[in-house]
Amino acid sequence: MNRSSSSSEIAGHVADRLHLANPWEVFAERIRRYEIHFNGREIELTRGPLALDGYGIRLFFGTDGHTKHGFQASTDLSDAGVKAVVEDAEKLSRHSEFPAKRVALPSAPPAERGELEIVDRRLWDRPMESLRDHVERLLAAFDGKRHAAPSFGSVRATLTEASVANSAGLRFSYPHTTVDFELAVKAFGGPEGRPPGEYWVNEANRRLETSRVVGEVDRWCRFAEDVRRAVPPPTGDIPVVLPSSMVTTILPIVIGSRFSGLARLRGIAPAAGTRLGVEKLTIRDDGRHPWGISSSPIDDEGVGHGARTLIDHGIAKELLYNVLEAGAFEEAPTGNGIRGTSFGYRDWKRFLTPPVAGATTVVIEPGDGGSDDEVIEAAGDGIWVQALGWAVPDPISSAFGGEIRIGYRIRNGKLAEPVRGGTMGGTVLGPEGSPSMLSSVAEIGSRAVLSDNLSSPTLLIRNLTVAGA
Amino acid sequence: MSDLRSSEADLKRALTRIESRTPFAEVMAEQKVGEGISTEANSTTSTIEPRLRGAVFRAWGGVRWVEVATSSLDAASLGLAIGSIENDLSRASGGSAPPGESSTTVGEWTTDTAQPMQSLGAEEMVKLGREVRAWATSVPGIKDARVAIAWEDDERLYLNTTGARCYQNLKLVRGSVAPIAIENGKVEFDYLSEGGLGGRERLGFLTEEKVTEVARDAKALLHAKAPPTGTMNVLLDPGVAGLFAHESFGHGTEADQFVRDRSYLKPLLGQMVGPEYLTLVDNGAHPTGWGSIYYDDEGHAAQRTELIKDGRFVGALHDRETAAILHARATGNTRRADFLSRPFVRMTNTYVEPQDWSYEELVAEAKDGVILEHGTSGIEDPQGGQMQFKVKKGHRIEHGQVTDLVSSMALSGGVLEFLKSIRGIGDPKGFEISPGYCGKGHTDLLTSGTGGAYLLSRAIVGPA
Repeated sequence: MNRSSSSSEIAGHVADRLHLANPWEVFAERIRRYEIHFNGREIELTRGPLALDGYGIRLFFGTDGHTKHGFQASTDLSDAGVKAVVEDAEKLSRHSEFPAKRVALPSAPPAERGELEIVDRRLWDRPMESLRDHVERLLAAFDGKRHAAPSFGSVRATLTEASVANSAGLRFSYPHTTVDFELAVKAFGGPEGRPPGEYWVNEANRRLETSRVVGEVDRWCRFAEDVRRAVPPPTGDIPVVLPSSMVTTILPIVIGSRFSGLARLRGIAPAAGTRLGVEKLTIRDDGRHPWGISSSPIDDEGVGHGARTLIDHGIAKELLYNVLEAGAFEEAPTGNGIRGTSFGYRDWKRFLTPPVAGATTVVIEPGDGGSDDEVIEAAGDGIWVQALGWAVPDPISSAFGGEIRIGYRIRNGKLAEPVRGGTMGGTVLGPEGSPSMLSSVAEIGSRAVLSDNLSSPTLLIRNLTVAGA
Repeated sequence: MSDLRSSEADLKRALTRIESRTPFAEVMAEQKVGEGISTEANSTTSTIEPRLRGAVFRAWGGVRWVEVATSSLDAASLGLAIGSIENDLSRASGGSAPPGESSTTVGEWTTDTAQPMQSLGAEEMVKLGREVRAWATSVPGIKDARVAIAWEDDERLYLNTTGARCYQNLKLVRGSVAPIAIENGKVEFDYLSEGGLGGRERLGFLTEEKVTEVARDAKALLHAKAPPTGTMNVLLDPGVAGLFAHESFGHGTEADQFVRDRSYLKPLLGQMVGPEYLTLVDNGAHPTGWGSIYYDDEGHAAQRTELIKDGRFVGALHDRETAAILHARATGNTRRADFLSRPFVRMTNTYVEPQDWSYEELVAEAKDGVILEHGTSGIEDPQGGQMQFKVKKGHRIEHGQVTDLVSSMALSGGVLEFLKSIRGIGDPKGFEISPGYCGKGHTDLLTSGTGGAYLLSRAIVGPA
């Protein structure tokens, strides 16, 4: 199911209408999206299919050590529509240039490396039925709960056939599914006068994972209930334990930005050999991570995905390049040409934007810190952060921080009372020898959990700044 | 692409086809045209808005809404979409009438500007972008600067089965510059950004004086002190006051949160929540606001809605459904991010009305604390009534004087406590509506203006 060279694919259809002397590429998508939105336990809106067939064409013109390039996207598949897009791209190329000395487009699909797990087959075959079943089972999991209920939520499934074609002869397509899940769980009831509490779940996955989601409901209800009795955290530079679901809100945006060819052009990429983190910290980028939200056989420029070691035992090693950035440094593209990223999230309409270099699935290698309980024990005295308002990492300065929506005080190596409010923040990367999140990693748990575009064990950060009451 | 109105007959025919199957149906068709440039790191990128147009149909199925969208407006594609919605209607059929009042508004609005951005052209935009970048990088220590200039015409046509027909063409312009300073491995930046409805005049803020000033500010941030930590007096600059208005109060007044019983504000309607000189509004009809619209996506005209008036919480933002449930009127705040996104109750331009304190008086009143400047983000907490927003930088206030520059900060705390602690609101001199994007949760981003005047209160501050 991963590959096809059928000319019925959109990229092939468009490519057959291009008669250009200069290098070009087409990235296309045939998208069908289905959504169910619920309010309390009632379905308030069903949507779908939201049908979107579109493509983007990029043209390249080499000039004197620079590359002129132009990109335009459209949903008009007619001959006249394709012609208009080419004219737009040509016009844009007059004013767009990048210091790439050459553009090496991939000419062949990647070597067969086995089936990549990126399609929820039941969802693909019966989208709305699968969504209804998922929502019904999710809502049923709240049966019998007297002090917690779903407040609102949505499940949005996107079924996409992505295809790439280029002037070097590549024709490749693959299907993939994504599921965006949002749920607000509300806790209420006595004691009188205590306001309700809420725990807000936001996840992006490749599949519905109904059993896992249903299995999480009890835990989510507990978090919502704990919000109601939480107290402000302490103030100071203290040990902070971050589960994978928290690390994913901080790390991938910074890593994807600062380890890119564009960052190297800006002069803000880490030089190979620089110490950025503790010895036990190794971070990879893996474009084929099973069920990774950004995993696919090829990137959005047609380059085969692989794995890159970005930080090896604390030392900066490799960078991520798309085709243009690779051409600026006489490097090979690394399969990190990514389309449709904004505010750290991956859009489902990727064909509308040209690629930038970015991370796929950021993988933090498991360490010897053991279970979550053992990591907590190692913290001694500190806090476990379960949810931040929004970490909003700054991809340039790498500063991050946000309000603690729910967490737990750690006392004597055990989880204690819930905490909420105040802020927690720091800097992911700092100059060599200065404090940063990566240089303050004290323990790395032994079991990695996939959360959106990060696979990470639970981390103990020796010092992060917490501003409490 | 041709004017959206050229597809009006086909859209009407499609609506007519399902009219007998539903008590109410509507369609919103959309297309955008526009251009943009960005320049940085010796590279320049020029863009044109994608050739994307489409329509979303919504029909009342007796117990819930059903929606179908298509990215092609030819008769065959519209027919397929209508076929899908007919299937959904047969599955969702029930007996009740659609909630609320269906619009019967008829009108057309296009942003009026004497200097349309189209007349600037890509070449001139690139030239201006490179000139701005050169001003920024002329400041010693500035390694690079990212300059972005863009305009878009967002054209929407709304039709429904009760006779409404609303056509609008919003002309939006935005420019920004973010100088990047690097020293000994430390990286910092600052930014200057403005945008709104209009034409070339919106870019008048990109002057050499302002750009070099923000570049110097970026460099200074390399040596900024760490922000103070804890509960203290906070003076928000006009943009940050707007972030407060939007994230902390505005989201809590979106009445779908009332209906879900998810707003901490719901039981406070009609009560005093702040000082008598506090007025906070959402104004979709602002003539130049970044979040302005002429009609919402249910066919209601945009309007100015007072949320807090003279310290009293007096209003909320409604779509047809929440208005029906809560015995109010729709306020022109039903918005879709685009034709592929669902409608929600959303803000437009949300701001704190200026009062009469001068900046110097507010600093003196604060005595000790911190000024929060250049907001970067925020997030709502309508259930819990907490707030979080972040700023790029600030200054300490010590003994009634502005002192050290401090680096990025996050502010948090309870919104009601923050409102009650307000001790002064600045004069109109610094009033501005800043351009931004707002999500409902983490998705469905759309244009949103935030603004205000300097605002003095008390909250928790920490590094971010």
